[in-house]
Amino acid sequence: MLAQLGEEAKLLAGGQSLIPLMKLRFANPSHLVDLNFVPGTTYIKEENGALRFGALTRHTEIEKSAIAAGVPIIHDCAAGIADVQIRNRGTIGGSLAEADPSGDWATVLLTQKTELHCLSPRGERMIPLPEFITDAYTTALDHDELVREVVVKVPEKGSGGAYLAFKRSAPVYPTASAAVQLTMEGEVCKDAAIVLGCVGLMPVRAKEAEAALRGRSIDGKALAGAMEAAHAAADPQPDMRGSAEYKRSLVAALVKRAIEVAVQRARGQRVEVSHIYA
Amino acid sequence: MSVDGKGWVGKAVPRKEEDRLLRGRGKFADDIKLREMLYLRFVRSSYAHANIVSIDTSDAEKIPGVICTLTGSEIASQTQPFIEMAPDPGGKIQDYPLAISKVRYQGEPVAAVMAISPGIADDGAEAVQVEYAALDPVVDAEQALTDASILHEEAGTNKVWGGVFEYGDVEQAFREAASVIEIDRMHFHRFSSTPLENNVVIAQWDPKDERIYYSCNNSFPSFAIQFLAAHLNVHIDRIRVQTSDIGGSFGIKITSYPQMAVCALASKKAGGRPIKWVETRSEHMISSAHGNERTFRDTRVALDKDGVITAITSRHIDDCGAYPRYEPLGCVIWSQVFPGVYRFKNARIDFSQAVTNKCPVGPNRGYSRMQHLWFLERVVDICAHELGIPADEMRLRNYIRPEEFPYTTPNGCIYDSGNYPKMLEVAKQLIGWDAWKKKQAEARKEGRMLGIGIGTTLDSGTNNFGQAQIVNPGAPFSGNSQGANCKLDIYGEVVVAVGSCPQGQGHETTAAQVVADVLNINPDLITVRTGFDTERNVHTGFSGTYASQFAVSGLSAVHGAAQKLKAEMKRLAAFVLKSKEEDLEFGVGGQGPEVRSKSNGKSINYWGMANIVNVNSAVLPVEMHDVTLNCRYIWRAPFKVPDIKRKYGNLTMTYASQLHIAVVEIDRETFIPKILDYVAVDDCGTVINPPIVEGQVYGATAHGIGAALLENCVYDSVGNMLTSTFSDYIPITAMNMPTVKYGHIETPSPHSYSGAKGMGEGGAAPIHTISAALQDALFDKRIFIDDSFNNPDSLFRALKGEIGRADDIVKVERRA
Repeated sequence: MLAQLGEEAKLLAGGQSLIPLMKLRFANPSHLVDLNFVPGTTYIKEENGALRFGALTRHTEIEKSAIAAGVPIIHDCAAGIADVQIRNRGTIGGSLAEADPSGDWATVLLTQKTELHCLSPRGERMIPLPEFITDAYTTALDHDELVREVVVKVPEKGSGGAYLAFKRSAPVYPTASAAVQLTMEGEVCKDAAIVLGCVGLMPVRAKEAEAALRGRSIDGKALAGAMEAAHAAADPQPDMRGSAEYKRSLVAALVKRAIEVAVQRARGQRVEVSHIYA
Repeated sequence: MSVDGKGWVGKAVPRKEEDRLLRGRGKFADDIKLREMLYLRFVRSSYAHANIVSIDTSDAEKIPGVICTLTGSEIASQTQPFIEMAPDPGGKIQDYPLAISKVRYQGEPVAAVMAISPGIADDGAEAVQVEYAALDPVVDAEQALTDASILHEEAGTNKVWGGVFEYGDVEQAFREAASVIEIDRMHFHRFSSTPLENNVVIAQWDPKDERIYYSCNNSFPSFAIQFLAAHLNVHIDRIRVQTSDIGGSFGIKITSYPQMAVCALASKKAGGRPIKWVETRSEHMISSAHGNERTFRDTRVALDKDGVITAITSRHIDDCGAYPRYEPLGCVIWSQVFPGVYRFKNARIDFSQAVTNKCPVGPNRGYSRMQHLWFLERVVDICAHELGIPADEMRLRNYIRPEEFPYTTPNGCIYDSGNYPKMLEVAKQLIGWDAWKKKQAEARKEGRMLGIGIGTTLDSGTNNFGQAQIVNPGAPFSGNSQGANCKLDIYGEVVVAVGSCPQGQGHETTAAQVVADVLNINPDLITVRTGFDTERNVHTGFSGTYASQFAVSGLSAVHGAAQKLKAEMKRLAAFVLKSKEEDLEFGVGGQGPEVRSKSNGKSINYWGMANIVNVNSAVLPVEMHDVTLNCRYIWRAPFKVPDIKRKYGNLTMTYASQLHIAVVEIDRETFIPKILDYVAVDDCGTVINPPIVEGQVYGATAHGIGAALLENCVYDSVGNMLTSTFSDYIPITAMNMPTVKYGHIETPSPHSYSGAKGMGEGGAAPIHTISAALQDALFDKRIFIDDSFNNPDSLFRALKGEIGRADDIVKVERRA
């Protein structure tokens, strides 16, 4: 259908980005293809050690899902996106395909082994998330291609993750956010994935920060190293949410807290975190 | 009679309007749809300051469904510029509802497109071609006063108004001072109110009767019709304005008269078809109205050896945006609270107001007084910190004392009643002051930044419009008044009409409580017609809902009308029951509400009385023909015209007071200020309906916390508004709110019949309080809070030493 309608046609999933853009007349698509009536696009299941989300699964369904709660960082994200109204409409597939630099899902899922199963008239293909997002608001999707399913591998035992975002109020995008997934072996961090949100044109993988933790015990020094590396890795734009320098400083603080929670969760402790408000 | 026999006023009577509003059955302006109605969309300036080279509407007019367009030059040829309240040269400003030859702020309406659907009107507006030639924008009031780039050539200056308010002997006080503290610059930021419902206007210029019909949500319609009649060259009686339920105004909807004018003229051009304009949120943010921004320069404070302030001098520069619409009234309204809650007698404030290339201001909740009260609270806290006096002690030494009421301020205002030390005591108790002080000391040892702040403020209500003469001696108004009507309808129903247009203040309920007590019946038996309607004939030139006054002006009018009705009912009943008036009592009998004779037990119910007057009048003797049971009453405030030369006189009838305390901790890593504890203590005299008052306190507290930490109207250096959506301008939500501990005291006002004081604006107490708490948290780092808006980013910059450095802002001279 998209192939027939041409480049000006747009897919409508939850509509939480597209509709506001159309209202402000920043987007003016020739046709809207509403996916909301396509059966079998909304589900959450666990199969072969992976969570599988239908592309049209709403944030609120993920928030309330016992299956998704098995990976706490996913629950952190789903429960904190915007406000209740937006969570009731917005979808995981739509959010990833929109590739908004301030979106929550990409930041979180880049700490996980995540694949997107995408469908076009040429058939289905699998795109790993790091290759899926190519720039701000830009993905590897072809014009006539859509996301069908999001597949997230369940982290191994002894691994813990956390996502923290600072928002000025519920409906707005975060000022900065940090997603951390750590795999611990006793006191030592075996592996780390750290991704920073809202501080670049795409989510920023803070590799130096990960290196500051990998193979070490998480003590004050390691934390300070990770914070410093996150501070350096961030490349934020100044805007009404804050100056670039402040956002750098904020994201480093969020990384520190996310690491602390991730360590506790890796130890099997139940820790509730939610988005931070001013 | 209520169950306890004490009357309905003062009781937690459930709100009559609740049932309708909570079930989604409220009727708002946008709910109204008329036959043949057209939808209006404005074409708005993308420039802050530019000449209009050309406007081409031809492409828009070709779009099917676009009926017509309207431009400024078409309007100018058939109207007068709006009334200006400033004296010359400010009075020479020519304000039209569409820009004519130049634009003066981003978002200023340049043209209007009328179409058969809102979507087509949007398309039409996009197709209008406007060519601009950019001019130098001025976005700072102090810069505007240099007149380097002038907004209104007719006036020849950007200064709208200037004047000095001086009282007492300032020089002597400074000579005798034990210490003098100088504060270089402080700034009160620009924010707004973001009511849930934006502006809505439906207008029809009916060619059949040459009348203009409005359904809208303007919150001061009698002010609007005075502006509109003069602008449109029509008799004021030809304008009918009706309001229905209104989803918030907070003063911001007072200045929607320019849009009302455009809608009427558009209807005229469209052959009398009704025009509907529903403002979008972005339009609301860039071009409805913002609150006044104010800069305080060269402040000098004289104090005695005990830290008692003896004199203040300062220069205040107010920024009113591109057009002075309700202005320059704000240049005097602040002086209703000239000394705030403090006792100093000597002061000189040099006040000026400038136009800038920003959205025009409107009377935003706390209007003009909150800026000044914030200034005074900052002065008190800065002096306290510099002199090493605890903030609570500093206030106790400087507060007007309870035994001094009624208190005459240096500029002649009479504070009716109050007890500020008592409020402080109640607030300290509620928050657990001593325990927090201990926790603060411990936190400081750990290097945490925890501050405790006090804000004491005033909400002056029912103002004397004579103060307008202080800014313009030619202004033909003074005093204050409000109208109401109370009647028995033909079948005996009690119906009350008032000239107010409530936006959630519960007027239907409180008016019914007042009438219920007069007639000794249940408020459920009383119907209250609120929502403004010129045709009800209960308005005066001051009618509307604004400026914290309904409890005084509105309810005094209702009370007066009910008393009048009661007197007529007594006369009539005495005649019918062949009884003496003194022998009669009011109450409810077997056949509903009635008047009965105490001695012979005979009674007549309301139906009986209404029947005689309306449809059975032959039984009445001629001498009783003046009994109508339909009683209009106009209440007038007992004001005098102020002494214009001395800028002296009583400017307001009642002074409600608020005292808030906040405990705030600034996170050392994220710089997020978190409110750990919050207390709001209110005194609005005799309370008419406690839950309504409490609700207003919570609302005003949320509004103030939002303003202090989240809400800021930001412009860049060329006048682009950067906060035109709710992604950038952050109205406070429940998620941001701390749990507010509410307390109250009652000092009845001797100035109102019931002891009540106007309330609702809340004096912006949270802004003062949070500024105080943040300063308390940062003072040992030599950081001063010199701006009313603070967020994590600005606190981060302050802690980096970029802003708020005490040594740059404050100088202390100790003589004793």
